[in-house]
Amino acid sequence: MISLERPAVRAALRWLPAALAVTALAAFPFAVTKPYPINMGVVLFLAVLMGSAWNVLGGYAGQYSVGHAAYFGVGAYTAVLLFERHQVAPWFGLPAAMLAAVLVGVVIGGITFRLRGPYFVLASIAVAEIIRLAALHFRSFTNGAEGFVIASAPSIHLLGVELSFGTKRSFYWLTLALAVAAVLVSRAVLRARLGYLLLAIREDQDAAHSLGIGLSWNKNLALAISAALTGLAGAVFAGYTRFIDPSAAFGLDVSVRMVLVCLVGGIGRVEGPIIGAAILIPLEEVLRNPGGLETVGLLPRGSELVAFVGRWISPAHLLVDGLIMVLVILFAPEGVAGLLRRLRARRRESAAAAPSPAP
Amino acid sequence: MILLLQAILSGVLVGGVYALIGIGLTLIFGVMRVINFAHGELVMLGMYVTWLLFVKLGWDPYLSILAVAPLLFVWGAVLQTTVVNRVLDALPQNQILLTIGLGLVMSNAVMLAATSDYRLVSTSYSSASFDLGGLSVSYPLLLSFLVTVAVTVALYLFLLRTDTGQAIRATAQDRLAAQLMGIDVRRMSVLAFGLGAALAGVAGALVAPTYYIYPQVGAAFTLKAFVIVVLGGMGSVVGATLAGVLIGVTESLAAVYVASGLKELVVYVLFLVLLLVKPSGLLGKTRA
Repeated sequence: MISLERPAVRAALRWLPAALAVTALAAFPFAVTKPYPINMGVVLFLAVLMGSAWNVLGGYAGQYSVGHAAYFGVGAYTAVLLFERHQVAPWFGLPAAMLAAVLVGVVIGGITFRLRGPYFVLASIAVAEIIRLAALHFRSFTNGAEGFVIASAPSIHLLGVELSFGTKRSFYWLTLALAVAAVLVSRAVLRARLGYLLLAIREDQDAAHSLGIGLSWNKNLALAISAALTGLAGAVFAGYTRFIDPSAAFGLDVSVRMVLVCLVGGIGRVEGPIIGAAILIPLEEVLRNPGGLETVGLLPRGSELVAFVGRWISPAHLLVDGLIMVLVILFAPEGVAGLLRRLRARRRESAAAAPSPAP
Repeated sequence: MILLLQAILSGVLVGGVYALIGIGLTLIFGVMRVINFAHGELVMLGMYVTWLLFVKLGWDPYLSILAVAPLLFVWGAVLQTTVVNRVLDALPQNQILLTIGLGLVMSNAVMLAATSDYRLVSTSYSSASFDLGGLSVSYPLLLSFLVTVAVTVALYLFLLRTDTGQAIRATAQDRLAAQLMGIDVRRMSVLAFGLGAALAGVAGALVAPTYYIYPQVGAAFTLKAFVIVVLGGMGSVVGATLAGVLIGVTESLAAVYVASGLKELVVYVLFLVLLLVKPSGLLGKTRA
């Protein structure tokens, strides 16, 4: 019999819950085929991907960028332009999108990383706005405010099986895989040497610098990883919605929502974006499209609740985002992950303080 | 030549209103060291109050200032005491996120109440102009500019000549020292936020006749206000006044000589250059 104490077994056991969860999520579309939950899954996985991407720079290195829409949009436009103008297939478009986002990131990083605190935040917003305005203005290159509607969905031949990129289900699995990969990358960064250097920079830039940690190089490295994942998300998003315009790609709300996902879950923690997305996205999706609850049978047809939410809340579902943002900063600036940890610490404390049972 | 003069003139007139927005923001930053990212939304609220008074009661936009200023003052004071005051010691990044959240709440609440339709305050003089030595002067812009000048002068007098104004300036200069001198810094913070909000609201009323009014209109004002505040030196009221006019002229020149769609882009690029070259701004001394 295998002992549960053997290191290999213990390691396997530690990974077991995560592996089971991913397997269950991957099997989900076989059990449920309604478009509403599948769509919610895609949006959720994209949010995990983007949150993890932001977390590497914002959470670990402490560089609160509120301009990540720049990388998201550059990724989206790169893939769409390649596909629409040069008929480059999306699976080549995705790496190209990542590369483009990294290149843009290196340029932006070179400019903004000299700034600190609020100045960095302002500069990051300004850069994203500059790109958005440029995308609006240079119509011959970007189609301006009209953007692009992608008419035909390409399919991919993988191991002899034809997978169509046109279906929600294929995007479900694709984004699930990408989200898992992003979380693993985020975890690997945190545990690697780079992670420690980034944390040192976050805690005290000047002290880190005086210890010989290269600020510019390490911040740019974090930004490159972050931008690559964000650009990837942008390209996948554009392929999924089959539509892209400057405000959907470069809008301030894209950047804000990336921060929000991390903020709610816990900035600077690997599990932060997962928790944040799991809380925010279902809430957002239900408020945005309450009718979907009727299609999956969670609420009866013609439900008054759905009518109420659809009439009064859906047009302004960002209101809830704003409220959550304010409340989290006021009452739980470390996010849900931080709350859980505090709770656990308190329980352990009270357990330790409790009188030991009489012999 | 006439084109250049025309561009500069329009720029100065628009810049006056920008200055008003910037002064409000810099006042808030100076006293509380909080960057108010919901500032543009306060301008937006001012526009909507003006529109509402215009549509429901037939008030002239310039008359509505009398209602907008006190309303926004109270709203700003409420925001300060209930929300912003709690994060005075938090990380600046968290303060920014908090005010971004407040902005989202305001713009989406307005969207719920008034839908996202574009609204217009079309007065008889909205597009009227007169000729001044070959230059065309927009009547509403000139009127706005004159009101701006009056408001700015009144604000300067208040800050320089009254005890409360002195106390606000003292708090901005050194919060702790001001407190030790017996100044109620919490009250000054509430006052400053209220004043800043009122100025933003007045600016909203002033631009209402010449702008489309919609719930998301604030975002552009927020970023522009920041450019003005940084350019003028964070916390400097005089600097913000000059910078507002300067940004107005820059925009106007960029619209004429670059492209009207790129006027804001030019301003933001200059902003980045400024942050890198002289982050303390035109009149600032310290580097934050």
